[in-house]
Amino acid sequence: MEFIYQSGWGAFAVMLLLQIPFLVVFLWVINHKSGKGAGPSNTSAATVSRLKTGWLTLAIALFLVINLASIRFIPAIYSARAATSGVEPIDVKVEAQSWNYDMSAQEFVAGKPVRFNVVSLDTVHGFAVYHPDGRVLFTMMLVPGAGTSSLTYTFKDPGTYKIRCLEYCGMAHHEMNDEITVTAAAS
Amino acid sequence: MSLPASIVASVPVFGTMFKLEEKDEFEAINAWPAAMIMASFIWFTAAVLLGISMPLVQMLGLDTSLFYTAITAHGAAMAFPYVFQLMMGVGLHRSGGCLGKPVTGIIPALAFWFMNIGGILFTIAILMGLKISYAVMYPLPIVGVQTGQWSMTSVVIGFSGIALILLTVILLFPLQVIKMLFFDKERAELVLNRRTLGDPGMLGMAMSAFVLLIMGSPLLVVASAVLLFLYGLVPFAWIAWAADPMVFQFVFYIFAHNLMEAMAIMVVSAVYATLPLYLADGTRELYSKKMANLALWILLITSVTSFFHHFYTMFPALPSALSYHGNIMSWGTAVGAAITIFTISMTIWKHGLRADVGVMAVLMGFVLYILDGASAIVTSTVAWSYQLHGTMWQAGHTMAVLVAMSMMWMGVLLHHYPVLTGRVVDPTKGKWFVALYTIGAIGVSYSFLAAGAAGMPRRFASWNQEGWMTYGYLILFFGLMLALSMVIFFITIAGSRAIDTTRVTAPAE
Repeated sequence: MEFIYQSGWGAFAVMLLLQIPFLVVFLWVINHKSGKGAGPSNTSAATVSRLKTGWLTLAIALFLVINLASIRFIPAIYSARAATSGVEPIDVKVEAQSWNYDMSAQEFVAGKPVRFNVVSLDTVHGFAVYHPDGRVLFTMMLVPGAGTSSLTYTFKDPGTYKIRCLEYCGMAHHEMNDEITVTAAAS
Repeated sequence: MSLPASIVASVPVFGTMFKLEEKDEFEAINAWPAAMIMASFIWFTAAVLLGISMPLVQMLGLDTSLFYTAITAHGAAMAFPYVFQLMMGVGLHRSGGCLGKPVTGIIPALAFWFMNIGGILFTIAILMGLKISYAVMYPLPIVGVQTGQWSMTSVVIGFSGIALILLTVILLFPLQVIKMLFFDKERAELVLNRRTLGDPGMLGMAMSAFVLLIMGSPLLVVASAVLLFLYGLVPFAWIAWAADPMVFQFVFYIFAHNLMEAMAIMVVSAVYATLPLYLADGTRELYSKKMANLALWILLITSVTSFFHHFYTMFPALPSALSYHGNIMSWGTAVGAAITIFTISMTIWKHGLRADVGVMAVLMGFVLYILDGASAIVTSTVAWSYQLHGTMWQAGHTMAVLVAMSMMWMGVLLHHYPVLTGRVVDPTKGKWFVALYTIGAIGVSYSFLAAGAAGMPRRFASWNQEGWMTYGYLILFFGLMLALSMVIFFITIAGSRAIDTTRVTAPAE
């Protein structure tokens, strides 16, 4: 579940799950009914009704299952869970400005929650944290004057994590990045 | 010959594709739409070249400012002067034929000039250095001036262009549709296939006009206030409310999101109107008009407040309740889409399909639209938005929805082409266009989505890291395939042959 809801490739897999059945069935219907000699069908009203009910039930079931399962992976939920866990998170203040970040701390310990409180001082910026393997762990949109964006995250793996701006912010947008270091917890 | 007919006739290459007949009995519903359609394809050609230039700039290691110039100009040309103008032209033509009302007078004329002059002004500003991307990030235009990235003159020229485009999209086009629907006098000789508001083929036109007018009006008010300040006509204190970050961002996305939804509702409506005309048994009826209308209403109701999905990652500035509301409403649009899929599939299944090039373009465009819809609801899920927001996934979604709608409108255009110009196209060449465009669009879409899943940022002039250039090569390959399909489309249109008596037997709207 964590792979599905906490990675871009998990999202990609779910998207394919939604797309492929549609693609196969719809293209088959078009191909089957537009070929030589293809004409009207004598499908009974009862069969059509059953198909309609089945199709809409499937759509609504997917709607419910995928969304209900996603709730525990919503950052607001896991931030709240971390806040009530009894372990005091490390507060980090981050100020984003074209084209750099000013962070109050950049070294953290794996397993200890970190609360990122991020603001932009000039234009819209992003604050995206990349896992050392290249995955986006989370991203935050920072609108100047719209308050602080906040998220609590517990790093699991030691390593160097890249920070990137994912909101277009001008001519040197691609150079707006930084790093944080996560070290292993003392055993 | 009317002014718009003369404009079309005087433009080389593109003009010959959409030139009206010498004595056109349908000139009142053909002339301005033909001018709009012709202009839209000129913009599209420019947009395609700019689109291809982006991966090339990356591969050749050219100046990053070229990339940002291309991305701003490409996005702006694709969304408004191309897709919206194509939709406006084809939509007004088919509305005229369904209602028997002319597309003449000051409103369509202003819509044509404002859209194209606005596009030109914005392009001039971009060439002067304004590189703000097509989605204006608050308050980047002014910050760019303060940090010496571009001049205030370019901001004023660019925003003047944007204002003209917004006037067309939010005011002129909806007013013309509403005028034709409820006020103009019917002319019996213009009625090609009468449709009422109870018909899903016309209901979507009305819904879209009202959505654009109502959801766009706040942006028009805010943009007008900002423009008055930029022109130096009022002091900043008078318009400070309009420059508030939440006001500016919210009115922008309430409009921008609903603009796309309105365009989708309108094109789905056009699909509902076109498909029955190509059924093998000649039924000329959808499987169920009730289900088709229900799907349009669900799309309308769910899409209006789903725009919150643009702000999930601002938590807690956007409260979780509004985020989850946006999440559920975004998925609600998929329920409307599921009903549409069933209605279209069952219509074809029950009655068979006459696979002419126009309807095949419409159906393949619909396939692209549904594939994109799946990517859209995934990224509109709060949990995934935190991994995907700001990546190439979203650039891919934006590109795919425009390419899909474009394909559907081109299909509807091919259907109406005999009435519009008095000529018919070669169906064999047309099928090559449909096949290449579909494969190219699916390929380029998956390349973007995979790049986003891998964490590649959008609007980002440094692809040569983390192995992202592989996606760049794929985007270029499939982008070239799309470009080739458009060349075939233009050759098909340019090679159309005149008809006389066949005109009345062509499947009328």
